[in-house]
Order: sequence, then structure tokens, then C-alpha cells
Amino acid sequence: MKVVVHVDPTRCRGHGICALMFAEALELDHWGYGRALEAEHEGRRSVVQARRAQRACPNGAISFTVAEEMQPAS
Amino acid sequence: MTAVLAPEQSVPVAGSALVQIGDPNGILLAGPAPVDGPESLGSYVDRLGPAPVLSREEIFAEIRDSGLQGRGGGGFPLWRKLETALASPGDPVLVVNCSESEPASRKDWTLCSYRPHTVLEGAAAIAEVLGAQEVVIHLHGGSVGPRDALRNALRERGSPEGDPVWRISYGPGGYVSGEASAVARYLHEGVALPLFASAPLARRGPSGRPTVVSNAETAAHVASILHGGAERWRGAGSASCPGPQLVTLSGAVANPGTVVEITGSVTIGTILRCAGLEDPPQAVLMGGYAGTWIRGHQAWQTPLEPASLSALGATRGCGLIGVLPHGACGIAESALIVDYLAGESAGQCGPCVLGLPVLADGMRALARGRGGRRALRHIRRTAVALPGSGACSHPDGVVRLVASTLEVFHDDVARHRKRSACRTAHHRPLFPFSAAEGSS
Repeated sequence: MKVVVHVDPTRCRGHGICALMFAEALELDHWGYGRALEAEHEGRRSVVQARRAQRACPNGAISFTVAEEMQPAS
Repeated sequence: MTAVLAPEQSVPVAGSALVQIGDPNGILLAGPAPVDGPESLGSYVDRLGPAPVLSREEIFAEIRDSGLQGRGGGGFPLWRKLETALASPGDPVLVVNCSESEPASRKDWTLCSYRPHTVLEGAAAIAEVLGAQEVVIHLHGGSVGPRDALRNALRERGSPEGDPVWRISYGPGGYVSGEASAVARYLHEGVALPLFASAPLARRGPSGRPTVVSNAETAAHVASILHGGAERWRGAGSASCPGPQLVTLSGAVANPGTVVEITGSVTIGTILRCAGLEDPPQAVLMGGYAGTWIRGHQAWQTPLEPASLSALGATRGCGLIGVLPHGACGIAESALIVDYLAGESAGQCGPCVLGLPVLADGMRALARGRGGRRALRHIRRTAVALPGSGACSHPDGVVRLVASTLEVFHDDVARHRKRSACRTAHHRPLFPFSAAEGSS
């Protein structure tokens, strides 16, 4: 189960909560906008963290895909 | 591989050559001279014969064997885009992007204005491969020459058996509005701004259907490939760039906006000689406004091929060659371009909105010789933070231009940093900043 997290930069307003929810996958850039890290994330725990980050974003900028199912979660 | 060949002379056997529109030795630009206006269907068919009758599979095989790379800037092989679209769920959509948002580029404008049937025939062939019922021709609303030529060509073409339904779309002007995802989004929801998507358009466009956005030149090449066969078309290119290519000459050349077709392996110097230059200029801006500067003497000897260009950190991009003459200031010209590009941000993504003005201000300060040391610090910090931060690659492109400016004009940077503006900082800009429109 491989998790890939995406930040939609057109929606991100730099609240920065996502990086607290899933620090292994998300960082804040120079201006404080969310940015997905290149690293791969595996396991059920990563899915839980990705979902948390997604729900925490007030602008709906976070989405993630789980490689096994190839289902975009939104 | 040769499928159904038109008469032998239809596609000239190409060595290394440079031709302009109307020259019989061209492949895309052969045919009537520009004074005769758009080529008529009659002239087109006389010249090349009727469109070869091929099955979907045969057309796809020809496109794949040709190795045709997209000519809008990305250089992605067309056949792979088609393969992705065909393997994805939903009926594919085909968009031929004729909007050419790069202000100094004129190749798509020239092609659509003077060789509309080549573009349409190629587009119809791509639609056939995709099984697309409808083809959208996307133009800038203000692009009069291409609009009239394509409209008239569609009337002449009528609706032959198996032809798709044609639709012309008129989009707004603006640098990023011609970007593939902005075009796809405009057609779907009327907003010509780049789209953030985790999947490629060819897999899933904004409408949910696979969306192939193909540049006008790319479509036109498909027509040439089918007429002459993939093998011959391929042979008209070079090792790392199959097929002929169109470039636009801009800046300090005899006629800015001249479009040249290149077959075989030709150096940038040879191309510039055709534009009236006798010696290497100070520098060349390669690939567009979001492109790369190359020192003149280096560019002069470099073949216009992806492999040679990438060794210099450049790409062919949209095929723009901008000439900076001796005595002009590369920093001042770049500052104007960066300022223009910063103003063309779609304003959607934070880093682009906040970062590009920092680059523009920094470059302007440097060009004017004011606060250069501080300006450079801001520029460097921003240039590191920006790449990969947007929904589209607009910020990455601006960073590319800024980075190559600082590198190529290194000595000038040192002078400007010591608070001395150059004499040329207030002259007329070398490059145009409004979308190209023709004499029509």
C-alpha cells in the first residue's frame, strides 16, 4: 500500500496544518505553503495520516492516492 | 515504413537545409508564397495528393515510427500521449492548440495562416487514431490571420466521409492561457487558467475524459508523415530530433518574426546567417521567454537539436531564437522579460504570486544599478524556493530565465552590482510583449 500525497497549489492558502498532520510527507515552503515531499510512504498508518492532513485543510487542497487501488481519494 | 505514398516529389528528400515559407524545398512551408495568402484546398491537393487512406492502426504506427515530439514546448512524443489516451476510460477529446501565447513566436501563426489544410489534415488523422468525434481548434480570440484562414479552410474542406465535427474556440490572450491544461480547462469551464492535476491530461482531462492537447505544428507534421511515410519524415531531422522543425527568429535580426523550417542538422549560426547576421551576436535566447540564454559564440556552433542544446542547459522549447546584439544589455532585456512574465502569472498559486514580483523587482534593481547586492540576494533565495511550487511550470520557467541571465551575463552582473546602470537600460525593448498579430 503506497501513499502519494498531493497539494493543489491553486487552493493552498498556507494554513500549514497539513505539515503538522503528516510531517513525513508534507513540508512548508519558503512562503509557508504546503508542499509534498518526494519520499514514498507505505503502510496503513500513512493512509491514516494522509486522511488527517486532507481533512484538516480548510481549503481542500490536499488529496492522496493509494497505489494499490489507484483510487483518487477526495 | 511506407504506407500509401503520394507522388514521389510530394515530400522533398531532405538534406540539411533552411527554408522560408513558399520555398519548394520545404516540407511544412513548401507551397505558395505568403503574398498569395492562405493555401487553398485545390493547391494543397495538387501539391501533395489526396490524404492517404489508412486505418487507425496504420496511422498510429506511422506516428510512432516517426518519433514525432510535441512542438508546443514540452517535446513529449505524440504517440505516447495517444497511447495513454487510448488506454484510459472515456471518449478521448482532441484539442489542436493554435493559440501560441509566446509573444515573439510566430510559427503556429504562420502555419495556420498560410498552410491551414496541413494543420486540419493532421488533426483529422490524430482524431481518427483517438476515435474522437469532435476536434477543437483553439485560437487566441484576437488572432485574425489564423482565424480567417482556418475558418475558410474548414468551409473548403466540407465534411468528407469520416471527418470529425470541427469546432473553433476563441480563448483570451495571456501567456499562461495557452498552456495545455489552461486550454483544456477553458474548453470545459470557460476559465483559461492552468489546472492542478495529479494525472496527465491525456489520462484524465478536466471533463473527466482523456484530453489530448496537441500543438498546431505537431498536427501539421502528422499530415507530412502520412503523405511521405514516417521513415522519410524522420530522415529530415537529426539524431535527437526526428523530422523537420520550425523556428521563429526574434530580437536583433533583419525581420523579427521570420519563421524558418530546418531540415537535417543545422547550427544556430547557419540559421542566424539566414537572418542577416555575419558574426556571432552577444547572446541568444533559446526556447522562448521562459528559456535559456546561450553565449553568442557558443550558440553559433551549436546544432539546433535537443541533445546539443541540453548540453548547454537549454531546450528547443517553442523554437524561438532571440538575438541579443553586441552593445545591448542582457540584464536589462531579461529584467523586462521577467517583469512581463511576473505580470502574466495566473495568480492562482501563492509562491508564484509572491515569488515572481521578487524576481522582477530584483532584476529591475540590478538592471538600474540600484541596490544590486541586496537584489541579488533576494533573487537567489527566491529562485531556489520557486521551482515545482505551482500548478503549471510558469514559475519554473521564470527561474530558468533568471538563472541563465545571471550565469551568461556574469561579468555584467558584477558591474551592475557595483551600482552602475548601463547606458542601454532605458532603450526600446528588443523583444515584443504583446501576442503576435500579423499584417492582415
